Amino acid sequence: MITIDKLCYHSRLRYENAGEKFAFAVITLLICVMSRSAAVAGIVLAVTGVLTVWKGGIPFFRYLRFLTVPLTFLFLSTLAIMFNISHTPLDLFAVSLGSWYLTASTHSFFYALQLILTALSAVSCLYFLAFTTPMPDILEVLRKLHCPRLLIELMLLIYRFIFVLLDIASAISVSQDCRLGNRDYKTALKSFGMLGSVLMIRAVSRSNRLYDAMEARGYDGTIRVLSEDRPPKKKVIAAIALFEIFLFIFALWRRFFS
Amino acid sequence: MSRNEKRILILAGVFALTFGIVPNVSAMHIMEGYLPGGFCIAWGVLCIPFLAAGFLSIKKTLNEHRNLITLLAMSGAFVFVISSLKIPSVTGSCSHMTGTGLGAILFGPSAVSILGLIVLLFQAILLAHGGLTTIGANTFSMAIAGPFVSYGIYILCKKLNVNKKAAVFLAAALGDLFTYCVTAGQMALAHHADTTVMGALGKFLAVFAPTQVPLAIIEGIITAVIVMGLESYAKPELRALGFLKEAK
Repeated sequence: MITIDKLCYHSRLRYENAGEKFAFAVITLLICVMSRSAAVAGIVLAVTGVLTVWKGGIPFFRYLRFLTVPLTFLFLSTLAIMFNISHTPLDLFAVSLGSWYLTASTHSFFYALQLILTALSAVSCLYFLAFTTPMPDILEVLRKLHCPRLLIELMLLIYRFIFVLLDIASAISVSQDCRLGNRDYKTALKSFGMLGSVLMIRAVSRSNRLYDAMEARGYDGTIRVLSEDRPPKKKVIAAIALFEIFLFIFALWRRFFS
Repeated sequence: MSRNEKRILILAGVFALTFGIVPNVSAMHIMEGYLPGGFCIAWGVLCIPFLAAGFLSIKKTLNEHRNLITLLAMSGAFVFVISSLKIPSVTGSCSHMTGTGLGAILFGPSAVSILGLIVLLFQAILLAHGGLTTIGANTFSMAIAGPFVSYGIYILCKKLNVNKKAAVFLAAALGDLFTYCVTAGQMALAHHADTTVMGALGKFLAVFAPTQVPLAIIEGIITAVIVMGLESYAKPELRALGFLKEAK
């Protein structure tokens, strides 16, 4: 149902310590976003890509397909950054439209290029986390980082309920398809709206029954789940620390000395 | 092959490429890594008062009615699922609605700010919409600015005795449009290479308008249908949701 969730449970890196993976992804992401240099972005893209695909065993083409998910956004916003409509032509090229020019400057061209690279490499960091660490493990890390208890509990419940509701929604939409519910645009809109309202009704009644069931089993305000403890390995920590220090120094060097 | 045929083929190829790579028109999540570090932090800080207020209000409600926690979680999951389902769209590309306008009308804006934050985090990790560094900016535009406008319009329409269907439509559609304007503003502030901030804002608005304006209208229609459906079939459930709204 949710492809990323399914794939990350199959990842070979799934049983590594979640804190290590979280730290690696987040620190790399921060360096990548702060440095805004194309070279750093290239290195990050390569390293996280290799780790996710080769080490983690995520199918290569699946991974590529996921990298294209944010492409629409990237495409449109890069258009907006690169092109200008003005009276004076800029230095890269200019297409005249009457008295106006559709034009771009070399500066903004390279700016947009660097932005695309940075964004893609940041997305690859996010994918490293998403494709190797299941949501409950991430919540466990957040708990150790002292995220408020109420939030963690809400997230745990929401994560569970997402699958319950997706199940109901897919059943409803299949039966709507069977009954010609998507015959034309107007019926499709109406069907979707009906799906939404029925989903809400089901969700409310389900949540009431669920609370009763939890209460019957002695719910007192916290849900205690067993977390499997996988001690961090010294070698992995050293490797991550080494990589981050190298990346940080490289980013500083690119920023100030070249 | 004659030259004309070749030309047609090339044109068709270009057409397919430009429109073929538009597989996913989601509501405007700013993607991971698109904002510079300073802006990420600034938007995050701007969200904190709203999130704190939302958190406290949720906490107070839950202290009084312990049993509402499952309802609250279901509501969050509902917003996530509604925003992850493909909605029928005119252009054939698959698009998604925000669902936050609906959330604001049903659960009130203070609960939606916290639910929105959680939903955005899940969307980033499970669906790759949005991102971790841009979560502050996205929370501000989609979980705070949009829902507050939606809720304000909804209350205003109620006071003015506007037809309920129209009120819901206006609230959801205008909330969506406001989200889109805020997002364009956030990007213009961060990236204005050659022009002024206003010029960049205009460009971002223009570029995203073809996808976002129809989406806002569709979202308005669907939200109106959903709320009408709830009104006619689920009066008692709506009363239960009223509890979430009362504590503000």
